[in-house]
Amino acid sequence: MKEYIVRRLIYSAFTIFAIATILFVMFRMMPGDPTAQVISPALDEVAQRRMREAFGLDEPLIVQYFLYLKNLVTLEWGRSFTSSEKVYDILVYRFWNTMLLMAAGLFFTFAIGISLGMVMGWRRGGKLDIGATIGALIMQSAPPFITGILLLITLSYRLDLFPTGGMHSPGNRQESLIALIFTGDFLHHIVLPTLTVTAYYLATPMLIMRDSMLEVLGSDYVEFARAKGLPPHKVMIRHAARNALLAVVTIASILLGFAIGGQVIVETVFSWPGMGLAMVEAASRHDYPVAQASFLILAVIVIVMNLIADISYCWLDPRIKLGD
Amino acid sequence: MKAVAALGRGLGTQIGIIRQSGLGSAGTLIVLFYAIVAILAPLIAPHDPWLTLRDAEGAIATMRPPSAEFPLGTTFLARDVLSQMIWAARTTMFIGLVSGLISIVIGANVGLFAGYYGGRLDEALMRFTDIVYGMPFLPFIIVLIALFGRSQNFVILAIVLIIWRTSARVVRAQTLALKQRQFVLAARARGCSDMRIIYRHIMPNILPLLLLYTAFNIAWSIIAEAGAAFLGFGDPDHISWGGMLFELWISGQIRTAWWWFAWPSIAIITLVSALVFISRAYEEIANPRLRQR
Repeated sequence: MKEYIVRRLIYSAFTIFAIATILFVMFRMMPGDPTAQVISPALDEVAQRRMREAFGLDEPLIVQYFLYLKNLVTLEWGRSFTSSEKVYDILVYRFWNTMLLMAAGLFFTFAIGISLGMVMGWRRGGKLDIGATIGALIMQSAPPFITGILLLITLSYRLDLFPTGGMHSPGNRQESLIALIFTGDFLHHIVLPTLTVTAYYLATPMLIMRDSMLEVLGSDYVEFARAKGLPPHKVMIRHAARNALLAVVTIASILLGFAIGGQVIVETVFSWPGMGLAMVEAASRHDYPVAQASFLILAVIVIVMNLIADISYCWLDPRIKLGD
Repeated sequence: MKAVAALGRGLGTQIGIIRQSGLGSAGTLIVLFYAIVAILAPLIAPHDPWLTLRDAEGAIATMRPPSAEFPLGTTFLARDVLSQMIWAARTTMFIGLVSGLISIVIGANVGLFAGYYGGRLDEALMRFTDIVYGMPFLPFIIVLIALFGRSQNFVILAIVLIIWRTSARVVRAQTLALKQRQFVLAARARGCSDMRIIYRHIMPNILPLLLLYTAFNIAWSIIAEAGAAFLGFGDPDHISWGGMLFELWISGQIRTAWWWFAWPSIAIITLVSALVFISRAYEEIANPRLRQR
C-alpha cells in the first residue's frame, strides 16, 4: 500500500513536470515574437530589456527551459500584462474561490447521485428509475452554460430570488474568505453555481451507481443477506450499496478531471472570481503569464484529484493487486 | 475487400442492436435530422447568416421575436436566427464528426498496440495517456486557441489531442483480456503476423466498444466545441450554436431575447442527448450484464 502510494506520487509529479514542458513548447511554438508571451508589449524599452534578462530570453532555448522550470517552482510566475500585479498574488486567492465552489458542487453531485442511484437500482424499472435516467441524461447533455443561463433567466432575472453573480454583495466585505463563507449572503451567492454544477455532473455517479447496484444485487452475498431475513433497507444499504460504491469511486477520477472544464464555464456565467474565470479573461486579453499559470494550476488540481481517487480506490478494495 | 465486407456485416448487426430500443431509434432519427440540415445548409437557409436584415418597412430588424417574417427571430445585429441555426448545424456536425472519428482511430490504435504488445511499449503509451489525463480539457482548448488563433482547425486539433485518451484506456483493457483467448493463441500458433492478429482477430471483437466510444467522442467533441465557442474561443468565420450563445452573452440582451437563447440551446441539448441515448441503448443491449435478469 505504502509502496503503491509512493509510486503514484512519483507518477503524478512526473505528469505535472511533463505538462509544464508541453506548455513551454506550446508557448514557444506560438506564431510571432517569442518574447511577447512573457513581456508586456506595453512596457518601455528599458523595462523590456530588464525583463528579458530576468527571464533569460536572450539565452539559448535549453537555458530558458530550465529557468522556466525554476521560476515555476519558486512561484516567480511573472506579472500580469493587464494589471502588472504579480501573477502569484492574483491567483492565490482565486484558487481558494475555485476550490470552494468545486467542493460544494461535487459534494452534492456525489451525495445525490449515489443515493438516487442506489434506490433506482433497487427498484429497477420503476417510475423513479426511468424518470431520473432520462432527466439526468438530458441535464448532462445541456452544457453548463445553458443550465446556468436558464437558472439566471428564471430564478434571478424573472423571480429575483438569487443574485446574478459574484461571491458576495458589494456591501458585504469580509476580512478573510473564512469569515465570508459563514455569511448568509455568501450562501445566497453560491446556490446557483452549485446547482448548475450538480445538474451537469449528476448523471455519471447516479447511473454508475444504478448499474453497479444491478450487478451486485445478483450476487450470492446479497441473496444470502436476504435469506437471513434482514429487512430490505438493511440489505440495500449495508450489503448491496456498500459494494456497489466501488464502481462510483473508479469513475470519480474521470469525472473530477472533467469537472474542471465545467468549472471554467460556471465561473464565467456567474462571474465567480476563481481560477477558471481568471484563465478565460487572461486568454482572451492575451495576458499570457496569467493564462499559463492558471492553466498549470488547473492541471495540478486535476492530477491531485486523480491521485486521490486512485488511492481511495485501492484503500476501498483490498482485493486489487497493488502491484499493478 | 473481404475485411471491408466483414466490417460492414459487423456494423449492420450493431445498428440492429440500436434499433431494438425506443430511445435508441429516437436518438438515431434526431442525429439524422441534424445531419440532413447540415448537408443541405446552403440550400435551405433563407438568408445569409451574417447579413443585417431589414423588415418590410425597411427598418433594421434588430431583436425581433419569432414572426412570420423571421420564424426564429433575429439577433441584436439584425441577423436571422434560423439561418444562423442551420449553418451552425453544419459547423457543429462537422467538428463533432471529424474530431470523433480521428480520436477513435488514435485511441483504438494506442489501446490495441499497448494491450497487444505489453511490456515497454505498453508502459510508454500508458504513461503518455496518464499525462494527457492530467490535462484539463476545456482549458487546454482555450490556451491552444489563445496561442494559435481562433480557427476551426485548431479547435479540432485541441479536441482530438485530448479525447482519444478514454478510448485508448478502454480498448487496452479489452485487448489485454482478448489476447489470452483461444482464438488469438490459435492464430498466433498458425503463424499469423502481429498486424493480422491485431486488426483481423482482436479488432472485430472490440467493434461494439469502438462504436460506443465513437458516439461518446462525437458527443464530447460537440460539448467541448460548444463550451469553447461560448467562452469566445470558437472560429469567428464558422458560426456554431455555442458561438451564437457567445454573441448573445456579450450583447447583454440575455434578459429579453429568449428566442436567441432558446433555439441554439435546444439544438445542443437534443443533439447531444440523442447521441447519449444511442450509446446508452447500445450499452444496455450490448453489455449482457446490464440486461434484464
